[in-house]
Amino acid sequence: MANESGVISRGAAADSMDSAHAAGAVFHELTRSLCPVCRRVIDAKVLLRDGAVFMHKRCPQHGAFEARVYGDAEAYVNFARFNRPGTVPEAFSTEVSHGCPHDCGLCPDHEQHACVGIIEVNSACDMDCPLCFADAGRGYSLTLAEVEAALDSFVRTEAAPEVVQFSGGEPSIHPQIGEMMRAASRRGIRHVMLNTNGRRIARDDAFLDELADIRPAIYFQFDGFDADTNQKIRGEPDLLGEKIRALDRLATIGCPVILVPAIEWGVNEHEVGRIVEFGLEHPAVFGINFQPAFHAGRHGDHDPLRRVTNPDILRWIEEQTDGRFRVSDFFPVPCCFPTCNSATYAYVEDGEVTPLPRILPMEDYMDYIANRVLMDVPGEMRRLLEELWSAASIPGTGDAAYAFDLACAACGLPQGLGGIEDIAGRMFMITLQDFMDPWTFNQKNVMKCCKEILLPDGKQIPFCAYNSVGYREQAREQLAARQPDRDRARRTGEPLEIQPLRFEFDHPGTEA
Amino acid sequence: MTTEAWIQALTDTRVGDRPEPETLKACCADVYASDWARMLLGDSFHPGGMQLTDRLAEMLTLRPGDRVLDLASGAGASAIHLADRFGIRPVGIDFSETTVERARAAASEAGSAAEFAVGDAEDLDFEDASFDAVICECSFCVFPDKVAVSSEIARVLRPGGRVGIGDVCRDGDLPPELETLFGWVACISDAYSAHDIAAALAGAGLRTTGEERHDDALAALISDIGGRLMTLEAGAKLGKLTLPAGMQFDEARRVRRAAADAVRRGVLGYALITARKPE
Repeated sequence: MANESGVISRGAAADSMDSAHAAGAVFHELTRSLCPVCRRVIDAKVLLRDGAVFMHKRCPQHGAFEARVYGDAEAYVNFARFNRPGTVPEAFSTEVSHGCPHDCGLCPDHEQHACVGIIEVNSACDMDCPLCFADAGRGYSLTLAEVEAALDSFVRTEAAPEVVQFSGGEPSIHPQIGEMMRAASRRGIRHVMLNTNGRRIARDDAFLDELADIRPAIYFQFDGFDADTNQKIRGEPDLLGEKIRALDRLATIGCPVILVPAIEWGVNEHEVGRIVEFGLEHPAVFGINFQPAFHAGRHGDHDPLRRVTNPDILRWIEEQTDGRFRVSDFFPVPCCFPTCNSATYAYVEDGEVTPLPRILPMEDYMDYIANRVLMDVPGEMRRLLEELWSAASIPGTGDAAYAFDLACAACGLPQGLGGIEDIAGRMFMITLQDFMDPWTFNQKNVMKCCKEILLPDGKQIPFCAYNSVGYREQAREQLAARQPDRDRARRTGEPLEIQPLRFEFDHPGTEA
Repeated sequence: MTTEAWIQALTDTRVGDRPEPETLKACCADVYASDWARMLLGDSFHPGGMQLTDRLAEMLTLRPGDRVLDLASGAGASAIHLADRFGIRPVGIDFSETTVERARAAASEAGSAAEFAVGDAEDLDFEDASFDAVICECSFCVFPDKVAVSSEIARVLRPGGRVGIGDVCRDGDLPPELETLFGWVACISDAYSAHDIAAALAGAGLRTTGEERHDDALAALISDIGGRLMTLEAGAKLGKLTLPAGMQFDEARRVRRAAADAVRRGVLGYALITARKPE
């Protein structure tokens, strides 16, 4: 039997498979994962049991482990049909030498280009959360030149990258974060996002003005309303007032906000519905990205057999919104892997919610959605509608034999911009994104990962590999070791030479 | 014919019962002049947009002052852009009077010297050897008589003049939903392979000087059309947009998916091909 930490037995091979052979378990497939203790690559069985999906694996040194990886076995199996051929990047940054996941990246074995590039501009934070995959704290603070080097490499490998997200640490406290976001826009990257706890937005007028000028999308940490939730996840019970203040201020400057709640079992699963209702109401918010709490980096005690997964959050959404959103309104997104992300888009008017999958066959549009940023389909729809509007007002159109009447049926404004604002401005999006940790790591998913950490030396490392395999710790150490050089360069104004990061692993390959 | 009638004809007519060339030309011209085309294709009607137009111009080494003919110039976006960017003197022709008027209006709004005229690519109304270059973006595929177009290009080019074709290429069999008149108009069913485009030009004495593949640009265009179609369908079904009668979303989605699949399988792609008339 598993104990609290998910370790079934340490080193005792004889009884380690008992759980794998539990009555009624279906052996779905074999994959590769990691030992959560030494991080070596080990084989893993994916098992279907009691309507859910579990991963069972054994390290020759540290014994057997089991974790819950998906709360809906039927969907897990059926979603395979949503898997689509990946699109590879224009160029790769590394070679295949040790094998996945030790050649990041991206190496030529990767099956998907990068939809989102993430740059962690610093390791420091103005909060000290008990749950932090980045294990924020003292360490490093990248220079603008280092960030530009990471962006340049992204442009080289993607040709026309769509999204860059600035993260940390807490990126808003980096003194040059504004220049960094501008550097991304200047390179033609359409969507620049700031991943933030919102504290500086709530407190700093000058920073708010700068955001009003740059207009990034705000990826806004927001875990719930209860003091207990904020105490357990963020270590601060009285966070709500500051969060609301930040959101209200963002509404005044028209920066689009996506709420990002981390949902942990026994902590805030009862707040899921209220977060949805709040998001629908708040003028700054146009979407929510729910994330099951994952246990990489800094985290408290957890039971891998009671891990929150996307289907659990979907059920809570349906139960807690009285069916305004239903489980069946959500569709899997082909990249990374169909089980990593689920999404829906809805039209909201006068409190009435119409999820698009209830009126459109989403499967027919999946290639469009998949290759677009998960986060910005409403924004894209707005762009297309505006384009339509401008097409309708091109000189000469009135004479066209088939002049097209872009009338707004609802408000009776013929050819009115009202119709366009109506649709795009009332679109709301809910996405779910399950990141893997060393307990749930599945190499199959990582090989199709489309969210990459961009490093100054040009390497791009799939987010879940970065957090689980050991890249984060090694990158942090090397980036922190260069901090004195950065400080010196800042003082003297001399350029800082960007050195390659090197990653070494004790157990490359698959010895197990 | 009305738009609805065209839409019906487009999806019902199989290319096997190939219509009259004049019907084809009129149909293509009308469809591309219609708002449907702009709604689904956006500002630029060819894969890769202005980026690939620039690339084609670079391959042709267009120089300031060059007199350049743009075949099937549509609403004039490429000609106006190239005049501005490369300092050329473009003349665009299109089979549709509506489209030509639209291009003239766009040129006058942009303060561009680009000229536009109604014309037929198979029977050009220009002197022999009167152009330094000819460009033809995503339209060679819809010209019913490609031999006639090739020899007309060769005729109006001066010795040493260059032609640049950007076009959908087809290698292999298409599913039945694309073998329709719609497939024809949508640059698909009568598209040649890159090799055959070069051969058609060679038949008129034009020697191939370059070929580049840009299949990703076609995939991106088809994906964007998906976004536009989805937005329109959502708007219509929410009762927020009044669309003309005859819009068959089921059919449109089916055709678009078939095209996306064909690109993925490598049956459809996009190429830039340049050739030169000997001195």
